[in-house]
Amino acid sequence: MSTLTRDDIEIATRAADQFTRLYYSTYDSPTRVIDLPKFYRPSSAITWNGNPFAGADAVRDLLNETPITKHEVQCFDCHPIPGGQPPNLLVTVSGTVTYGNPANPTVPSNNSAKSKNVDGQPRVFSQTFVLVPDSSAVPAKTSEVAKYYISADALRFVG
Amino acid sequence: MDRDERMREVQDKPGGRKGSSRIRTHRQRPIDNYKDQAAGSSRVSMVNIASSSEPLSIRGASRPTAAGRIRRNAVSLNTSKVPGMPATSTAVVGVKATDQWREYVRSRYNRETRFLNLERMLDDPIVQKYNLLVPGVPGSSGKETAAMFKLAAQLRPPVQTLSLANNHIQSGKDISSVGMFLPKLANLSLANNQLKTMDDIRLLTREKNKLDFLRELVLTGNPIKGNDPANAEQYRRDIVKRFPALEMLDNEPIVKVGFDAPTPHANPSHRLTPIPTTNSFARPMSPSFVMGVDGGLVSEFLTRFFTLFDTQRSELLDVYHPAATFSFSANTSIPPRARIQGLHSTLPNQKNLKWDIWLGGGNGGSRNLSRVGNVDKMAQSLHLGRENVVQSILGLPKTKHDISGAPSGFCLDGWLTGSTLFVTVHGQFTEEPVNALRSFDRSFVLAPAADDSRAKMKGWTVEILSDQLTVRAYSSSDAWTPGPMVVQPIVASKDSQPPNLEAALASIPEPQRAQVARLCQQTGLNVNFAVDCLQQNGWDHERAVGNFEQVKVRVNCFRGFCRIRPCGELRHSAGRSSGLNLCVYLMMLTYLT
Repeated sequence: MSTLTRDDIEIATRAADQFTRLYYSTYDSPTRVIDLPKFYRPSSAITWNGNPFAGADAVRDLLNETPITKHEVQCFDCHPIPGGQPPNLLVTVSGTVTYGNPANPTVPSNNSAKSKNVDGQPRVFSQTFVLVPDSSAVPAKTSEVAKYYISADALRFVG
Repeated sequence: MDRDERMREVQDKPGGRKGSSRIRTHRQRPIDNYKDQAAGSSRVSMVNIASSSEPLSIRGASRPTAAGRIRRNAVSLNTSKVPGMPATSTAVVGVKATDQWREYVRSRYNRETRFLNLERMLDDPIVQKYNLLVPGVPGSSGKETAAMFKLAAQLRPPVQTLSLANNHIQSGKDISSVGMFLPKLANLSLANNQLKTMDDIRLLTREKNKLDFLRELVLTGNPIKGNDPANAEQYRRDIVKRFPALEMLDNEPIVKVGFDAPTPHANPSHRLTPIPTTNSFARPMSPSFVMGVDGGLVSEFLTRFFTLFDTQRSELLDVYHPAATFSFSANTSIPPRARIQGLHSTLPNQKNLKWDIWLGGGNGGSRNLSRVGNVDKMAQSLHLGRENVVQSILGLPKTKHDISGAPSGFCLDGWLTGSTLFVTVHGQFTEEPVNALRSFDRSFVLAPAADDSRAKMKGWTVEILSDQLTVRAYSSSDAWTPGPMVVQPIVASKDSQPPNLEAALASIPEPQRAQVARLCQQTGLNVNFAVDCLQQNGWDHERAVGNFEQVKVRVNCFRGFCRIRPCGELRHSAGRSSGLNLCVYLMMLTYLT
């Protein structure tokens, strides 16, 4: 098994940076039903709070029944997984997510009321991805070493 | 890449007088507005510019001076026959200055290549003619520059490439408005200026004004680039981090991986599917999910792993693959729900927990990549090879995972991906010696232990290829208690309050009525329960709400049972057992019905 180089690490880091930014901004966007499944392939395995799904189409179905979201990524990390070249990537993300519209405009704004209601507060989420290079995809740009997709995605509300 | 060639050509032949005169043949004439029939919108836009009477919202050249204001007053006094009529004389002065800038900006724009060439601005005859205070010139302010870029934003077709090369630009302030007015810019040259620090670049990418679509950036010939090759990697990373779409920096490609990501300017007409507005999630929180492998194998691995992690970390050397990777990250944010539940103020010793030990410990520190900007730190905090992994985990605070406790304290998802097993675990541990709880998430990539491996010899069935640990402030494991979940609480508004609530409230004497109404609104309790709750808490609103939230947490614990047992049965058992006080019992009924 080849040793990972500093270049591998550098590329993995950049990929995670780019991926988390793109993934969650897409998730929170009005066009998510069309755009988010593009990160997946038919073989992708997904769990959403313990509910299993398979493939990009299932992601679309899941999104169709999911309220609007607002994610805040507070912490993420990424490793190149030893073994392949280009390597698979393990990405973990920790942050908060708010579902639905937290502010009910018909309620007179009462700060203490809002802040005391746990149900209206952002949840802590933990999401882990395995990103895998798509050997069949031709990189769109010369500077791309590979095109990656989400092979595994496990999400849980954890707080 | 013709784009690069174009940029290079520009640098080879910096636009001086000669360059600008060549470009000036592209100066806008009214007829040009009708020439470009290819883009239907461009004509309209050009007309808009031509007839634009909109004052610059960021006034630079057109900002009225004190003298101007006096003059305007004088004029409006003289011409006050039409009240409310704009003060024409100042407007003329303002527009005139704007026109000078507009003349300059347009003269430098090549519509075919969508290239705005603002190189060597001081050499430009129009700049000289009007003494325009271009950026980099003593006396120029961000306002003039902002006005200039605002005019650039009105050019059609929109500017794709901007060169500000060779301009004595010394500070990011001079160009901080580029992103605001040209947010879709693809290529930017700042070559041969005097930009010195990363702060100057930061000003280019402030929150709303980020150049999110910038593909090429040239900073050669600026002190920031430096001559020390040792800093080159850091320089590159710092820049790349700031521009998510960057592909070329200083004429060198940035190697990265791609995603089939959406194009950032996705057509809003794609907003096809209605977004659900229901108040509960279509899927409930479900129990741990393991597929493709024997669940016993996973739990056996985790039990042994965490036991050794708590008691004998050095022995874990066996279970890591020789090329394994490990890192840990501290998410120091305060979890909003746990904060409201008061977990960090009421649970023992929480106040004594310190983050420093995680942020700086473990032989390289926390690797939260959203915080780590330094290339060396980024490399040092990723531990490659099992010896280094064990060195790192030996440097972390002592922990106690309650493996033998209730299984609900942990939650895991795992399945086979190719030849590897992917497992992610959520739970909590006690941090020693503080003796206080923290939450964690830990993700593993496991491979079957090879026959001749050290892991196999020590009785492990799998070995660890990758291990990532995230440590967080404590949140209750109730978060993954199976059962339905609420998206947003239904907050009873005045309008939607059932009429009988009004009636019920009317029976409460006035000093308390407002308090009861407030609690009803906030918690969704009915009037009787709200009165009960307030009475039990000495009519202290904050205490009552706190009590309500605590009770609700406990009720949530029971939700798992609800799915198994009929609610009626639970009602009985809850009422009879467990010393729950009456208020709690009543509240549970409100929740369960």
